[in-house]
Amino acid sequence: MTHISFFLGFAALLAATTAKAAELPESIKQAGVLRLTVNSTYAPMEYRDPTTNQLVGLDIDLANELAKRLGVKIVWSETPFAELIPSLQTKRADFIISGISDRSSRREAADFIDYLATGPQFFVLTENAAKAPSDLCGKKVGTTRSTSFPVEIEKWSKQNCEATGKPAVQYVPGENSIDVRNQLKQGRIDAAVQGSETLPYAQGQEAGKYRIVGEPFSTGYQGIMFRKDDTALREVVTEHLAAMIADGSYKAILDKYGLGANAVAQPMMNASTQ
Amino acid sequence: MRAAPTLAEGFPDISGMTVARQVHWQRWLAAAAILVVLAAIGRAFVNGQIEWTYVSRFLTAKVILEGITNTMVMAVLAMALGIVLGVVVAIMRLSSNPVLASVAAGYTWLFRGTPLILQLLLWFNLALVFPTIGIPGLWSARAVDVMTPFLSALLGLGINQGAYTSEVMRAGILSVDVGQYEAAQAIGMGRLRALRRIILPQAMRVVIPPLGNEFIGMVKATSLASVIQYPEVLHNAENIYYANSRVIELLIVAGSWYLLVVSILTPLQMLLERRFARGALQITR
Repeated sequence: MTHISFFLGFAALLAATTAKAAELPESIKQAGVLRLTVNSTYAPMEYRDPTTNQLVGLDIDLANELAKRLGVKIVWSETPFAELIPSLQTKRADFIISGISDRSSRREAADFIDYLATGPQFFVLTENAAKAPSDLCGKKVGTTRSTSFPVEIEKWSKQNCEATGKPAVQYVPGENSIDVRNQLKQGRIDAAVQGSETLPYAQGQEAGKYRIVGEPFSTGYQGIMFRKDDTALREVVTEHLAAMIADGSYKAILDKYGLGANAVAQPMMNASTQ
Repeated sequence: MRAAPTLAEGFPDISGMTVARQVHWQRWLAAAAILVVLAAIGRAFVNGQIEWTYVSRFLTAKVILEGITNTMVMAVLAMALGIVLGVVVAIMRLSSNPVLASVAAGYTWLFRGTPLILQLLLWFNLALVFPTIGIPGLWSARAVDVMTPFLSALLGLGINQGAYTSEVMRAGILSVDVGQYEAAQAIGMGRLRALRRIILPQAMRVVIPPLGNEFIGMVKATSLASVIQYPEVLHNAENIYYANSRVIELLIVAGSWYLLVVSILTPLQMLLERRFARGALQITR
C-alpha cells in the first residue's frame, strides 16, 4: 500500500467512525449478506418448525426484521450451544442472536446488546410435591450443561439451601432443553431449569405436563453478541433495534410468542449484573 | 586366471567407468516441500490463538484424569461384552438350526443397521417406554435407576460392538481349514468341543488384528456417550470449556489423551498377536 492510499484509507476510516448515522461495515454491505449462527434447540427463541423444517422463533423474527431494515439477506447456519461463541470469534457468524444470556464471564469474548429480560426458572412435573423453590433443596435438578444455568443453580443452592442448613441441590447435566425435559419425564431428575422465556412454549406443547415453581431465581438479559472490535456493526444493529422498539414492531414480535412481559425499554450494552 | 572379456567390434570400452549415482532431485524437492508445509503448520499452531498454558494446566487436571479413566473402563468393558456377544452370535450364525441362525442374522442387521449414537440415546431414554423394569414376581426397579448413564453406555456400545465383532469372529471361524473339523469329528469330538478346543484357538490368530482395530475404534467411540452424560474424557473436557470458553485448548487436551492411549495399545496388540501365533510364527511378522 502506498503512503497516499494508506492516508486515504485512514481518512475514510475516520470519516466512517465519526459519521452520525451508523453504517453497515463495508464487507457486509458489499456482500449484501449477514451470516448468523443459531443453536436451534431452544423453542420458542429458535427452533425448526416440525412441519416445515424452517428455522422459526422470536430471535429469527427479530433478526429477519433487522435484516430487512439493513437491506441485507441472512444466511443462517446452526451449531451446538457451546460453539456459539467460537462461531463469533472465528467470524463464521457476524453476530449471534440465539437465546444466549449476557453474563460477565462471557464478556471477555464479546459485547452484548441486551434485548430481552430472562432468568433461570425451576419447573417440575405437575404431580410433583414441590410447591416452593426451597422444596428442591437436596433434590436432583437438571439443566443443559453447556449453559450458564449449572453455575446459577449452584449459586442459588448455596444461598438458599446450604445457608439455611438444608442439603444442597444435586445438579444433573443434560445435553439440551429437550433432553432435560426427557430426564424429568423419566424421573431421572426431580426438577429442571430453563430460561423463563422458553417455558410457555414447552407448556403449550405438552399441556398440563409441567408446573413452574416460584419465580425466575435470578434476573438478567439475553443479548445479541458482537465481536469486541466490531463496533460499527454493533452500533448499526443497536440503532435499528432501538427504532424497532420505538415503532412497536419489536413488541409485536414478542407478543406473537406470548413474551410481551419480557420486553426491554431500550437496547442496553452489557447491562446484566451477573 | 580369467580371460579378459573381449569387446565387440565398434563398441567403446566402458568397463573402467564408475556408475554415477542418480540424483533424485524430485524426491529432495518433495521432501523439502512437505517439511516446509509441516513447519508452517507447526508454526501456525504455536503462534495461533491457543493459550498453551491452558493445555498444560488441564492436561493432568483431576477431572480430565477421571475422564480418561472412565473412557478406558468403558472401552474395556464394552469391548469385552462385544467379544462375548460376537463369539456367541458368530457360532449361532453358523449353526444348522434355522432359528438360531436367523436370530443371529437379525441381531447383526438391527444393531449394525442403526447409528451408534441413536442406540445410545434409545438406551438412555428407555424409561420413557418402560418406566419400571424387572422380573415379574421377583424383582423390579425404576428404569432410570437401572439405566444409569454408565449402563446405558455399556449396553449401547457393547451390543453395537457385538454386531460387528460377530462378523469378525465368523470370518475367523471360516478361515480355519475344513479338515480341522473333520479331524476333530474323527476323534469323536462334538461340535461345541471342537469349536472350543480346535477351531477358536486357531481362529484367534486371524481375528486379533481386526479386533485390535475394533478396540481402537471403541476407545474413541466412547466419546459418543458424552451425549448421555457418561463422564468420559471428552464430556469432561467439554464441561471445562463450557465454563471457560477455551475450546481448542481443551480439545487438544482430550485429543492428546486419546493419542497416548492408542499409542500404548498398538504395541500391546503386537504382543497379543505373537502369543496367539505361537503355532504359526513363520507366517506372521
